[in-house]
Amino acid sequence: MAARGEQGRRITETARETLGQSVRGLGAYHMNACVKCGLCAETCHIYQAEPEPANHPGVKASKVIDHYRRYHTFLGKYLPGLVGARDLSPDALDQLVDVVYGRCTACGRCSLHCSIGLDIAAVIRAGRNVLAAVGKVPEGLQRTVDNQIETGNQMAITEEELKSTAEWLAGDLRLEMDDDGVEIPIGAKGRRVLYLVNPREVKFFPLSLMAAAGVFHAAGERWTIPSKFYDVTNYGFYSGDDPAARELTRRVIEEAESLGVEEIILSECGHGFRSFRWEGPNWMEQEYPVRMRSVLEILEEYIDSGRVKVDPEKNADRVTLHDPCNLVRWGGISEPQRRVLKKVVADFVEMTPNRKDSYCCGGGGGMLSMSEYGERRVMSGKIKAEQIRATGAKIVATPCHNCADQLIEISKKYQLGVEIQAVVELVYNALA
Amino acid sequence: MGVSSLVLDPVKVLVGLAVLWAVVALAYQVLAAWGGGRADYSRRAGSAARGVAFSFTVAMTPRHKESVRRHPAKFAIGVVMHVGVILSLLGVLLLLVWPAAAHKVLSLSRPVIALSLVAGLYLLVRRAVSKDLRAMSAPDDYMAILATCVLLALASVYSSYSVGAVVCMIYAALLFVYLPLGKLRHAVFCFVARGDLGRRLGRRGTYPSATGRMV
Ligand code: SF4
Ligand code: SF4
Repeated sequence: MAARGEQGRRITETARETLGQSVRGLGAYHMNACVKCGLCAETCHIYQAEPEPANHPGVKASKVIDHYRRYHTFLGKYLPGLVGARDLSPDALDQLVDVVYGRCTACGRCSLHCSIGLDIAAVIRAGRNVLAAVGKVPEGLQRTVDNQIETGNQMAITEEELKSTAEWLAGDLRLEMDDDGVEIPIGAKGRRVLYLVNPREVKFFPLSLMAAAGVFHAAGERWTIPSKFYDVTNYGFYSGDDPAARELTRRVIEEAESLGVEEIILSECGHGFRSFRWEGPNWMEQEYPVRMRSVLEILEEYIDSGRVKVDPEKNADRVTLHDPCNLVRWGGISEPQRRVLKKVVADFVEMTPNRKDSYCCGGGGGMLSMSEYGERRVMSGKIKAEQIRATGAKIVATPCHNCADQLIEISKKYQLGVEIQAVVELVYNALA
Repeated sequence: MGVSSLVLDPVKVLVGLAVLWAVVALAYQVLAAWGGGRADYSRRAGSAARGVAFSFTVAMTPRHKESVRRHPAKFAIGVVMHVGVILSLLGVLLLLVWPAAAHKVLSLSRPVIALSLVAGLYLLVRRAVSKDLRAMSAPDDYMAILATCVLLALASVYSSYSVGAVVCMIYAALLFVYLPLGKLRHAVFCFVARGDLGRRLGRRGTYPSATGRMV
């Protein structure tokens, strides 16, 4: 039930201020540019799965833009009915939740294909900024942000748990690599590389963490995982809570400085890469004191320089690649993973479309932590499922654990029978 | 001094003022939207300039723009309409300074303007009947198309029968007053938005880009 009276007025005021700040960052250009041609409809995987007006990118954008108009345009202020401008009333804010969290992963595919060049995803994120400021983030997503802020990582994994998992994985690796020198260092000082991981790797997908450790060892890398702030994800980015996103970034940078590393390597995570690499410095309003790269870039460097030797025949099955939106479209990392895969697998085949034009898997934008949208999320993965099926691949490589979760689910739902792997797992498997 | 120029002079002043208003108001809006800009503290991976160049060229080709690839006819209709509007406005503005040239331009453009009017009417009907478009449209969105259709109709009449120059100019003045207020301001913001998208994607190395096969 929406708040009324004084409380409602305060909510509207906060929402209005946040929208103003948010569009200042966006340049507000995109709020004024939509011609409502409707041509972006099918560029959206959610619309494709369920072609109804509420899922149309232009409609979704207009729901945010209508509020912008109300406070930032002449006609919106004085003749709101003429331009469809709407107050940021508590009721309207409640309605906006479904639009910006429930029907959009902010993947931005539509942005690149809009007939104008309107960044629809940025408009949607402005809507998320507003809702985060007034405490209307869906519960599951908010809980994940709170976990990150309170415990340092999204899954509330304790330092002891991290250390014991690392010990156990290192032990297995020593056996597998037949080398007593293998280690998974936590919080070691004076190393060259600080490796951030997705807590899901620690809890559910230890094979990718193990594989990364194996490759680092094979490359003779001096590396460590931070002991406290090692989480590569940033759910503040997803929820639209910029102060939380800034805090999560700041902690990692401070830990990197205190450990004296030369560079931060981000494990395979789409939104984590975008958040840390591109948005983080702007949240913090400063350049980072250390270099930051994706693990995909360093994997390519190891292979190219001969620091690790690989044999593609060790990955004989056909492999295709899913492009995470935030890593590729909004992160600019599209080629290293391809060059790496072409060297470590025997049969690599592209999905169509790919790279910046890739469809979202449906699990982006924090969808996986919002159970109320679960059915829509899985349904929206239909087009990705069709793309995967068309490749005839047995393995889908995806440089993102978030996407991996969704791909595992859509593989089951659409009976694809594929295995989902991180790129680093395929590299580890190919070690000669 | 002929009768027509006596009548036209105040009209010319009116149109001049309306154009001035549109330019100043749009410039103000773009500057306000820019808000002094924001420093980007991330280390760039590509070139903003190359991104902008790509955004305005290759990214607009059907290969890179799915909205066009999937809807070539609708896109073409939109383009035809815009071409007609631009030619009409050009002709009307020429009327202020060089009536003979204006007549020439409008006469030569007559088929395009007529086609453009048909395209505009189609777009108006499409907006009214499409569920998706209705869901994103406000009265201003219909008004903007209607307003440009009226301009196209007036320009067609003038180019065909050489009558209504004054009406054309007064109407154009009204259109210039409306331009920065409603949906028509996309005439400027579409360039700014595309440029901004290209700049950001260029810095990140996404643009310029190769892409896979088409869908
Ligand atoms: S393609 Fe762009 S301009 Fe057209 S409706 Fe979609 S967002 Fe608006
Ligand atoms: S950002 Fe992605 S999910 Fe959202 S409307 Fe655009 S294509 Fe659809």
